[in-house]
Amino acid sequence: MIFDFMESFNDNMFVLFLFVIGIACAAGGIPPIIERNRRRSIENQLPGLLESLSDAVGAGRGLQEAMLEQGRNTPGVLGKLLTETLESSHASSFDAALSAFASKTRSSQVQRVIVLIDTAIQQDAPLQNILSDLAMDYERLNDLMNKRESELAGRGILIVLFVCIGLPVLIAFIVGLFAPAKSGYQINDFNSTFSNFFAVASAVGALVSGRMMGRMRDMLWWVPFWMATSMLLYLGAVKMIGG
Amino acid sequence: MRKLDEKKEILYVIRTLDVLMSSGVGLEAALHSIGKGGYGIISKDFSAIMSKLSSGKSRGLEFEIKAMMNKAESDGYRRLLNTMYTNLTQNTDLIETLRKQGKRMEEDRNESVNKYIEDLGGVPETLLSIGMIGPIILAIVGLVPQILGDGAEAIIGSIDQGMINSIVDGGLMLTVLGMILIGLKAHTKDPGL
Repeated sequence: MIFDFMESFNDNMFVLFLFVIGIACAAGGIPPIIERNRRRSIENQLPGLLESLSDAVGAGRGLQEAMLEQGRNTPGVLGKLLTETLESSHASSFDAALSAFASKTRSSQVQRVIVLIDTAIQQDAPLQNILSDLAMDYERLNDLMNKRESELAGRGILIVLFVCIGLPVLIAFIVGLFAPAKSGYQINDFNSTFSNFFAVASAVGALVSGRMMGRMRDMLWWVPFWMATSMLLYLGAVKMIGG
Repeated sequence: MRKLDEKKEILYVIRTLDVLMSSGVGLEAALHSIGKGGYGIISKDFSAIMSKLSSGKSRGLEFEIKAMMNKAESDGYRRLLNTMYTNLTQNTDLIETLRKQGKRMEEDRNESVNKYIEDLGGVPETLLSIGMIGPIILAIVGLVPQILGDGAEAIIGSIDQGMINSIVDGGLMLTVLGMILIGLKAHTKDPGL
């Protein structure tokens, strides 16, 4: 029965092709998620680090010494990266170590902060004030980014659930119930048209969901997966209900 | 796209200019520093200005900034360029104005993010409504000839299956188009964080 069920998809080459591509692309979609989590954890720790550095510099410590100490005290990726980079800076200059740290974080926020600190050092600017202002700026920015993410993540997931799962199953239920193939209804062309529609609708839904959360490029990896899922759900549900 | 990029970078550029100029760097050197990169489209613009200046073909920084004002698409960027132009021609207090602009722009950014979240509140339901009503109606239209059988001809006359298929295809395309248009709101109203 299971093989029978699976063989019913043999007529639809596009679904099978999309399913294989979808699985492969979904595997490619995992690294951007991990990278984003890592980057956001670094960025969320940045204001705290800058504030501590501002206090330490205000207390009369040198920036390098303050950074090394804060790096050791800051838990997580940011502290670890900072300590590693500064410890390796014995073989190079402090500027080079800062640049290396900025590029290792792969965060544009950290890179901008480091460029500003570097310029401030070169211009002999008041570091304590600059660090404190930067800490407040980035704290507000991160709060805003976190707010957007937390408020829109639920809605983004809802779109994917509604459009990629709910919609195909609902229509399949209606079609399977009122025009079952086992009663002689000729619905092969109809199913093919509708499954293609659900694939396109799922692609649109997934992209809108990604755009809402500001990560459409990352979501592109998941588009074939959701397209294949909605097509399989529709065709599978029609087959199960309508025979 | 340019407008969104400008909106995304402008606040950082203002903060950087503020830090650089407060610590004694001149406007031209500050523009050169930003032009080196890290601020997207604005870095490219400033880099183009500095290249023109260093090539000797330019009439001066103020003319280049004025020319850039025509190219700028976002209000914030245009306002910043205008502030720099005024500083160059009338020697105004640029740092103070930058601080005020930065504060105002940050308030605008907060407002636009809140509005964005509010505006997108109904998108899932709207997408589902359009994505559901269209296919339900079209599924019935597509299946009517088979469900009603001979009775269909008695009610609505002779039915051309080809025409029914065309109506269903067209309707589904319109449904997708409607979904795209609703989804486009998520892109066009992006506050650019």
